Amino acid sequence: MTPEAEYPALEPGQFDADTAQPVPRAQLSRRARAGLWLLRIFAVIVSAMVVYTFVSQLHG
Amino acid sequence: MVNMSAAAPPLTPEDAARSRDRGRVHRARLGGRRWHLLWLLAGPGILAMLGENDGPSMVSYAATGATYGVGFFLPFIVVTFAMAAVCQELCMRVGAVTHRGYGQLVLERYGPVWGWFAAGDLLLTNLVTLIAEFVVIRIGLAYFGLGAPVAAAAGAGLVICTLSGGRYWRWERIVLGLAVFNGLFLVAAVMTHPHWASAGRALVTLTPFPGGSRTTLLLLVASTIGATVTPWMVFFQQSASADKGLTTADLRYGRLDTVIGAALAAVFGCGAFLVGAVLQARGGAGLLGLAGAGFPDALARVSGHAVATVFALGLVEAGVVAVLTISASTAYAVGECVGVAHSLNSPPRRAALFYGANITVALIAAGVILIPGAPLLAIALNANVLATVLLPVTLVFIIMLANDRQLMGRWVSSRATNWVAIVIVAFVALCGAAYGIDSFLQATHLISGA
Repeated sequence: MTPEAEYPALEPGQFDADTAQPVPRAQLSRRARAGLWLLRIFAVIVSAMVVYTFVSQLHG
Repeated sequence: MVNMSAAAPPLTPEDAARSRDRGRVHRARLGGRRWHLLWLLAGPGILAMLGENDGPSMVSYAATGATYGVGFFLPFIVVTFAMAAVCQELCMRVGAVTHRGYGQLVLERYGPVWGWFAAGDLLLTNLVTLIAEFVVIRIGLAYFGLGAPVAAAAGAGLVICTLSGGRYWRWERIVLGLAVFNGLFLVAAVMTHPHWASAGRALVTLTPFPGGSRTTLLLLVASTIGATVTPWMVFFQQSASADKGLTTADLRYGRLDTVIGAALAAVFGCGAFLVGAVLQARGGAGLLGLAGAGFPDALARVSGHAVATVFALGLVEAGVVAVLTISASTAYAVGECVGVAHSLNSPPRRAALFYGANITVALIAAGVILIPGAPLLAIALNANVLATVLLPVTLVFIIMLANDRQLMGRWVSSRATNWVAIVIVAFVALCGAAYGIDSFLQATHLISGA
């Protein structure tokens, strides 16, 4: 019996075995990759600032 | 495990549990029972929104009310929940269409570097936020004379108890039942007899705009954003929507679930703000010294014990619901990125890492509040700010996923949704950066506070 026949309430792509299959890798353009890295660096720098401020306030 | 023929993939207990839930949805849909269908399909959106009306958020709203009184920040809370509804709709839609969680999709679609960055951000902010949740549970329970060990044991014990069933539906309903008590903040607000005309005027005109210290203002703006839109909500709602079994046929109800959650959370958040505003006339800035049970105690002196009791109970509820949802989002992220079973429909023996991560992160956070002299309010406010700073990266990926035609087919975002989402990302990034840079420059004495 197929999974769909066993559990007709589930959609074909909804079974555990289906969702365990990886989706294909996206091809990002060079600009998109650069943008993501810039955003990541921004987040890391500002996070470090917030953590530094928090720690210095504790000691201040 | 269900027996299968050699050719077919094995059916799992998760499939069986999800199928039972989906069967009820199909019957309700066929019978045209719309309210019953809403009851069955609601959950991830309301839980994400009310889960985000957590301890630090409610303390943040109340602290803002106590600092500035009724004015700009009251409508700002509503605006931020409207922003949250836009972002969370993306997560629900991606989860319902792909049947996969955010962590899994980012990792598989954009590679392990971005997947683990996303999971790392989530683990960091979740751990800090969970500590803050336990801090706030402690503040609430301290009003009733109960100490940190009770807060730690109660929170961690609840996480373990709610996970014992191995059913998403049961877990969701228990947490929804607890989340109803987020309404205590509205009850407390009504009991303080706020000046409704001023509140109405502020909601319409967004005034008066707050003055005073720029750093405090930026902290509270960033903190208020971090109190309404956070990375864990993105992970949680997408994973929970997939785990619940939402499909493209359910998108309308998924949106309704998200909007109802946002509306309830905005109303209850405004309730906490109005309660805090009562303290403004009585030296609200003194709240910053509330390490301990200061907030409910201050309320008791100004508005009486009944209001303080309701507010303290609200803080306990807010902390408890957030501990349950945030630790669940951590478990989803770990399970999805490692590639092991990651469903609340899984029996614990089949998903040891998933349940282990869920419980471990809660236990670590519970352990931290047992450290004497921890700066409670500072942790709570900075947890929200850190979430705001890391949020733009999370949001950019959910926007990319929601626009990925290969994954989403005809359910990609509309042009209007994309523009709104991009404006939200830019706004959040600007606010987070403004506070981060301003406070850093002051901490290093490169500029003075204004």
